[in-house]
Amino acid sequence: MSAESINAVELRGVTFLRGARKIFDNVDIFIPRGKVTGIMGPSGCGKTTLLHLIAAQLKPASGEILVAGKNLPTLSRAELFDMRKQMGVLFQSGALFTDLDVFENVAFPLRVHTQLPEEMIRDIVLMKLQAVGLRGALDLMPDELSGGMKRRVALARAIALDPQILMYDEPFVGQDPIAMGVLVRLIRLLNDALGITSIVVSHDLTETASIADYLYVVGDTQVLGHGTPDELMNSDNPRIRQFMKGEPDGPVPFHYPASDYRADLLGGH
Amino acid sequence: MRQISMLDRIALFGRVGIAVLEALGRSTLFLLHVLLGRNGVGNGFQLLIKQLYSVGVLSLAIIVVSGLFIGMVLALQGFNILVDYGSEQAVGQMVALTLLRELGPVVTGLLFAGRAGSALTAEIGNMKSTEQLSSLEMIGVDPLKYIIAPRLWAGFISMPLLAMIFSVVGIWGGAMVAVDWLGVYEGSFWGNMQNSVNFQDDVLNGVIKSIVFAFVITWIAVFQGYDCEPTSEGIGRATTKTVVYASLAVLGLDFILTALMFGDF
Amino acid sequence: MQTRTMEIGVGLFLLAGLLALLLLALRVSGLSVADSADTYKLYANFDNVAGLTVRAKVTMAGVTIGKVSAIDLDRDSYTGRVTMDLQKRVDNLPEDSTASILTAGLLGEKYVGISVGGDEALLKEGGVIRDTQSALVLEDLIGKFLLNTVNKDSK
Repeated sequence: MSAESINAVELRGVTFLRGARKIFDNVDIFIPRGKVTGIMGPSGCGKTTLLHLIAAQLKPASGEILVAGKNLPTLSRAELFDMRKQMGVLFQSGALFTDLDVFENVAFPLRVHTQLPEEMIRDIVLMKLQAVGLRGALDLMPDELSGGMKRRVALARAIALDPQILMYDEPFVGQDPIAMGVLVRLIRLLNDALGITSIVVSHDLTETASIADYLYVVGDTQVLGHGTPDELMNSDNPRIRQFMKGEPDGPVPFHYPASDYRADLLGGH
Repeated sequence: MRQISMLDRIALFGRVGIAVLEALGRSTLFLLHVLLGRNGVGNGFQLLIKQLYSVGVLSLAIIVVSGLFIGMVLALQGFNILVDYGSEQAVGQMVALTLLRELGPVVTGLLFAGRAGSALTAEIGNMKSTEQLSSLEMIGVDPLKYIIAPRLWAGFISMPLLAMIFSVVGIWGGAMVAVDWLGVYEGSFWGNMQNSVNFQDDVLNGVIKSIVFAFVITWIAVFQGYDCEPTSEGIGRATTKTVVYASLAVLGLDFILTALMFGDF
Repeated sequence: MQTRTMEIGVGLFLLAGLLALLLLALRVSGLSVADSADTYKLYANFDNVAGLTVRAKVTMAGVTIGKVSAIDLDRDSYTGRVTMDLQKRVDNLPEDSTASILTAGLLGEKYVGISVGGDEALLKEGGVIRDTQSALVLEDLIGKFLLNTVNKDSK
């Protein structure tokens, strides 16, 4: 039982297929409670799929996904609905509801899961927006916000119900340095101030390594390695090394498989 | 270029056929879930009102204008032909029957597919690609009940109403042209029409047609949006598919329904 | 978009649709509420009902007094039996009235015209008009005409 309380999320022996293709093969991942864990890997290795699995939007072919001690794939609809209160997800594009204004967007989870009176909802929404620095943007519509602001509002929405686990899907993609800095600060702040567990899925090495307490590198249906950022930087594993150091050629080759170069040029095809 | 052998072409054909069947299966399960699935959160009625507005009310403009013009043209052309037989008094009956039985439901269907159908597909496709549908799932709201179902019902309700408005406006436009411009005697215009138009056979059959069309068009529109690839090109392709499939379905079903209702079998 | 404006818009839209339906029912198809109850049935057998359709009008002296509600084959007499729904207030048709199938205009549809006889007994619900004149079939007319011409020539 005490092992469970160290880890907020555990994936044990999880296998996941998309069609005939194996995305994960018997994978074990343990996300420690109260810390920022980064999940990194080359593009297309299934990082976002991992988030979907933890968020119970997808079911694994086999294995267990334990969140707060409960195995997600076995839960009933009602139990899953309750579970959702404890998880918040920040999607890559922010995913604000375009026909609702900022206030209504943040209030949405509250209206779905609680029966709180209007004044209380208003207070909570204001607090969450204040936390992300956008309290003044209450009445704006999503299309009036910049990309970075959209993500911050989405973050406010994700924490509306004070979840235990926050998941970030590629939060650093396409952000200018200021927005990046804001986001990095927020992730760390929320994690420490609220004592939640943060999972950051990203392929941005520098930013992720700078805020993560622990890292998992996945690729090729497996966990390639895990450890603190420093441990991984000094790893012996060639694939981890290629990823961490950003080497263009290595276990992930530079050249797309092709026939012999000489033969191609001389063949004049 | 790679040479594609005959066998490859046949295999491709088979693959496309299987894909079509898969899509049909998916879309049927989708429809069943939307209509019969357990009710989600949120005020269903409010959501429906909002969709009735954006799907129905906003389509009024194009329907009314088109109906007016088509009614007027029908009267004009009809008069030209009937005058040769000395039967120009029958133009009212001609305009009314054409609109009620055929043009009302069919043209409204085609216009609806183009305007409202493509808008629905694009909107839902956009929600899918910006991960709004995923977000809803994450918060615990079933997007099929929250987003799709109100739009589906709005389509079912709006289109028959639009078709009726189309017919009425068309008949009135035809009356304007025939009576005020071409000089058909007003009494015979309406009298002949009333004598020959039967409520059950003509008006109600037209309404039944428009209900069937509404069902098919809206179903195709929301499914294509939900099923599309979540990229800009994917949304564009899905919108095109909606307009093409829905239009073809309307025309094909129209033939079948007309044969059933007005044929002598 | 203000919810209130939207709701008003939708309400108006629904009203417009219902109004359209009403207009179609009453003004366009001439559906009259009084239709069903105030009629009584009369029957007439014709040798040839060619071109007469259900819902054709039944007139007397050019005034519409009812409509054809059914056309069947009378198996025993091998004639076409036409069922007519006549307005109840026209209840003074003598039993020897004549029913003829006439044509309205050149392209016109067929309708039934009733001309009165002189009998004192009146037709009641379910009565049968015995004196009938069938529809004029174009081919018969042409045949008659040709025959006449041939006869004249041969004289």
